[in-house]
Amino acid sequence: MTPQEEVENLIARVAMGDRAAFNRLYDRTSAKLFGVCLRVLNDRVEAEEVLQDVFVTVWNKADSYRVNGYSPMTWLITITRNRAVDRRRALKLPPVPIETADLLPDSKPGPEDSAVAASEARQIKACLDELPRARAHLVQRVYLEGYSYADLSEATGVNLNTIRTWLRRSLMALRECLSR
Amino acid sequence: MSDQTTPPENPEDDDRILAAEYALGLLTDEERALFEARLDADAELRAEVISWDEHFAAIVLDDGEEVAPSPQVAKRLRTILFKPQKQSIWQQIWPYGLGGVAAALVLWMTISTEIITLDGPAVNPDLVAELAPTPDGEGLVIRAAVDTSLGAVEVVRAAGTPPEGRVFELWLIAGDAPPVSLGLLEEGNSTVIDLPQELLAVLPGALLAISDEPPGGSPTGAPTGAVRAAGPLTSS
Repeated sequence: MTPQEEVENLIARVAMGDRAAFNRLYDRTSAKLFGVCLRVLNDRVEAEEVLQDVFVTVWNKADSYRVNGYSPMTWLITITRNRAVDRRRALKLPPVPIETADLLPDSKPGPEDSAVAASEARQIKACLDELPRARAHLVQRVYLEGYSYADLSEATGVNLNTIRTWLRRSLMALRECLSR
Repeated sequence: MSDQTTPPENPEDDDRILAAEYALGLLTDEERALFEARLDADAELRAEVISWDEHFAAIVLDDGEEVAPSPQVAKRLRTILFKPQKQSIWQQIWPYGLGGVAAALVLWMTISTEIITLDGPAVNPDLVAELAPTPDGEGLVIRAAVDTSLGAVEVVRAAGTPPEGRVFELWLIAGDAPPVSLGLLEEGNSTVIDLPQELLAVLPGALLAISDEPPGGSPTGAPTGAVRAAGPLTSS
């Protein structure tokens, strides 16, 4: 069984109320998901509360997984990331400043650009590496740390509309790259 | 959806970018509501959101740091998910029923070694019960002695008190019948309660249980609070 099939199988058994499967799923995925919470919230107590909340949802909603079209880890990671971001926003955590010098539109592509090994590298990583490094950084702040446009604006000192335009152009470039 | 080979001038107009912003949680409340209203009817749009989620999650899968949460999280989850908050009285007392033989043996041993002394018993017991504390009744030491010829039970509370503002109520559970209230425990250590004549025949092997109830006793005639202690009646 591949790791993906294993997690899928565990979720299917959790949907039937299998407690042993739930415990296995927790052991198998909690460290990864806790890493997601911690990255967004940067506080163990808050992150553990979100993680707990996520697994309560998994126990209650596992039966809806089959029909939603997600691969199993994406389903878990997306629930976790979104819950953590909701908590982050409720707590109004201040963003960490971002150096603006790197954000100019014509700054160079990241250094890994040429080093991307074709077959093994995940598409998204390869495509992020094609963006100017600072733009890729903005996208990662948004996904991994849950920054809003207002957070990005505060962190960079760049006005909100400009930040929004920059990020959208970055997403557009990403999307073009991903569909190649 | 626009032709993928020619990106539009304004990325804002592109559903693919809107889907990305939705996946990232970047839309305003109003924008999100409008987008979600379209999602239900638009399979292509849903697929676009899922595709973004898959790509972004791949960043975490490949590079996301793994950090072990404290063992408390797993423990709390087991408590929240696997232990119903409000158990039926049957769920609460069954271990004590099954443990009857062992409890009787322990009681026999403690009585015969005179660890237990029912303080000047008001009754001459032919049936006794050691009411073992449930997880909700930690610290309680309660024993009961029935004198069937007298038709009375004496309950001795050697340790433990009801929670603030609550009283202890004594219940008899015989076979599969619903619990029957025998009365409230008095504030002192010992309470003697008269038993209805019709119950005397079913006493041997029946369970005695203590629940906490509002002052005046259970308003419903069935236990409403947690069962704090329970044990089977056995011949003395």
